[in-house]
Amino acid sequence: MSPQHGSQPIQHQFNPYSDNGGTLLGIAGEDFAILASDTRQSVDYSINTRLSHKIKVISPPVTKEMKLESTDIVGTKNSVLFGTNGFSADGDALTKAFEENWKWYVHDQNSNVETGFEFLNENNEEKESFMSMQSAARNVQHLLYGKRFFPYYVHTILAGLDEEGKGCVYSFDPVGSYEREQCRVGGAGASLIMPFLDNQVNFKNQYIPGTNSTERRKIEYLSLDECLKLVKDAFTSVTERHITVGDGLEIFIIDKNGVRSEYHALKKD
Amino acid sequence: MFLTRSEYDRGVSTFSPEGRLFQVEYSSEAIKLGSTAIGIATSEGIVLGVEKRITSTLLVPESIEKIMEIDSHIGCAMSGLTADARSMVEHARVSAVSHNLYFDEPMAIESLTQSVCDLALRFGEGASGEEERLMSRPFGVALLIGGFDKLKGYQLYHAEPSGTFYQFKAKAIGSGSEGAQSELQNIYRNDLTLIEAEKIVLKILKQVMEEKLDSTNAQLCTITKESGYKVFNEEETKKIVDIIYEEDEEEKKRQEQEEQDEEDEDEDEDEDEDMN
Amino acid sequence: MAGLSFDNHQRNQFLQSQHNVSVKTTSTGTTIVGIKFDNGVVIAADTRSTQGPIVADKNCEKLHRMSPKIWCAGAGTAADTEAVTQLIGSKLELQQLYSKREPRVVSSLQMLKQHLFKYQGHLGAYLIVAGVDPTGAHLFSCQAHGSTDVGYYQSLGSGSLAAMAVLESEFKMNMTKEEAIKLAADAIEAGIWNDLGSGSNVDICVMEIGKDAELLRNYRTPNVREIKEKSYKFARGTTGILRTEIISEVEIDTSV
Repeated sequence: MSPQHGSQPIQHQFNPYSDNGGTLLGIAGEDFAILASDTRQSVDYSINTRLSHKIKVISPPVTKEMKLESTDIVGTKNSVLFGTNGFSADGDALTKAFEENWKWYVHDQNSNVETGFEFLNENNEEKESFMSMQSAARNVQHLLYGKRFFPYYVHTILAGLDEEGKGCVYSFDPVGSYEREQCRVGGAGASLIMPFLDNQVNFKNQYIPGTNSTERRKIEYLSLDECLKLVKDAFTSVTERHITVGDGLEIFIIDKNGVRSEYHALKKD
Repeated sequence: MFLTRSEYDRGVSTFSPEGRLFQVEYSSEAIKLGSTAIGIATSEGIVLGVEKRITSTLLVPESIEKIMEIDSHIGCAMSGLTADARSMVEHARVSAVSHNLYFDEPMAIESLTQSVCDLALRFGEGASGEEERLMSRPFGVALLIGGFDKLKGYQLYHAEPSGTFYQFKAKAIGSGSEGAQSELQNIYRNDLTLIEAEKIVLKILKQVMEEKLDSTNAQLCTITKESGYKVFNEEETKKIVDIIYEEDEEEKKRQEQEEQDEEDEDEDEDEDEDMN
Repeated sequence: MAGLSFDNHQRNQFLQSQHNVSVKTTSTGTTIVGIKFDNGVVIAADTRSTQGPIVADKNCEKLHRMSPKIWCAGAGTAADTEAVTQLIGSKLELQQLYSKREPRVVSSLQMLKQHLFKYQGHLGAYLIVAGVDPTGAHLFSCQAHGSTDVGYYQSLGSGSLAAMAVLESEFKMNMTKEEAIKLAADAIEAGIWNDLGSGSNVDICVMEIGKDAELLRNYRTPNVREIKEKSYKFARGTTGILRTEIISEVEIDTSV
């Protein structure tokens, strides 16, 4: 019945991509940033694993002193939280590629024969230099654009602290267009969660009561606690309505003390 | 060194039995023939200065370019075969611009210097003949690379043709480098101002140059955090040169005065003796 | 107007070829099973319905009654499973009135497969037909193209492999009613957890010889949503009123 049957030849083609579902979410606070994702990896109607990691903490070594201060630290404040969502093989490849660039960068920057003369550099407290979020973002753009005609099939989100210690989130399309944002959701649940975050983080479509929609609700930074509540509610809600989201929720929080991670179970149906 | 000259000084990739690479050592000799270049790092900025050898009155001094911009925050001064420096600067500029493109930030001075030195070391590539050769010999030029970055602040590096580099607070290269370097050693303080450093560079150039220093046969540049790479024009150079000559004049007068005074004292003493 | 209308078929095919758009149907993604036991038959289903990757209904009913003691579990296109079971259901009722005999499961199966065959698979109904009638308890499955199967245990839908894995390992002949219910529920749960097209709760219908059929709606509810962290109640006036218009009620005179 369909026009392809009999009358026309059917062209078969190898499709190198697949959709592994899942959702990735980043929120930037005043002095912290959050990157969260579900831990389900699926293809079609099947679950490959209920505990996949879509977020990699790319961090300088965590020292013993830092571990003494809090035992659950998984990265320093100079870390880049690197999250990918979409085709997970490409996500893993991109993460690896970036991690290598990050290591080379740190190596090059700190390969000093001798430390700089202190008097020539009075205001600098840092003895070591790591890749800034701004530089990391630019580098990721080039990794993605480098495969412009055979793209990494992923939505990428970076979270970390900028050079002033403020929380920051960078999001990328599959070929490297990027932007710094307050919050962003990528992947399967993007269209469900993004409007919710627009409303709850940036107070979109909210007016001050009594002003008769003439005065918008002023944007203000949300506390870490408040943000975590939004993240959990967003994920439990999207788990209800999207079949590729579920199993577990992994949240990474970066602030001046370093990176912590949390895990919460999600529904497994 | 020339006593041991032998067949081992032909190939750029052949060690002598004593473990020396003659071609590389000779390249350092080429720099000693070059005009003097001086660099000083202060807590306020970097100063680079070079001597220009005006070999003919018909030569247009502006056509001699021995101080070059690598990026808006990095400058370099050269001594030796300046033609070689063109390809080094070209390479450095590409490195700096690429870094800015890939990382959205100015390149670190040390990384830039390392990148230049990586190029300098490639004289050995393909020396065995099979592959395509990049260079026929080591570079015959040394660079003073100075600049500012957020990592280590103001830095001055000396890059040699051998591919090694060192960081300096102050460094002189070229024909007058021996005298200039010992003078820098005497004068240098950690709390030098940029203005002081500018004057010191020209003063030392004046001492080591064969010709008489003026505003056309020396050139200065500064690199600061605020305004980046700046080359001095003739007028700006002249101002400092004039001050130096004025100070010399005063110094001369003061010395003459002192000598006069001493003579007077001597006379007085004589008189005293007479009195007795 | 009997039967289906194909008036828009040609137009839809054209639109699809030109604009790569297609009609999105609600699928019952689904895991359904049926199991015979010593004195009857049980069928079960999950309660998730989907539109692509989106859950359309978290607690839909996939167990359809065709007659008081003949029930049908449906997988495939929701509209088709509903329409086809209703259609055959009403035919069975008419036949019952006409013949003054209880409808038989084999009759309903015959009518279903003839109907589905007529439509050459375009009705996306995949059914498990079960029930008790004067000839005993029966269990069948029926594919969209019209083919049917007989068996002691059946599973259909996207979660049929997960469910069948459980059935193959746990099924015994002559189970008790309770054993059969537990096995059916376990098989559906396998689909709920391991198949993305299936989810939420387990519905069960037990048809025992000599008894009324019993629908156990939401027999198991292993996926109750946890309470939210935060209340999302907005202060009154957060959404402002841009424009107010009052439309007056109009009396329509229906007398001639």
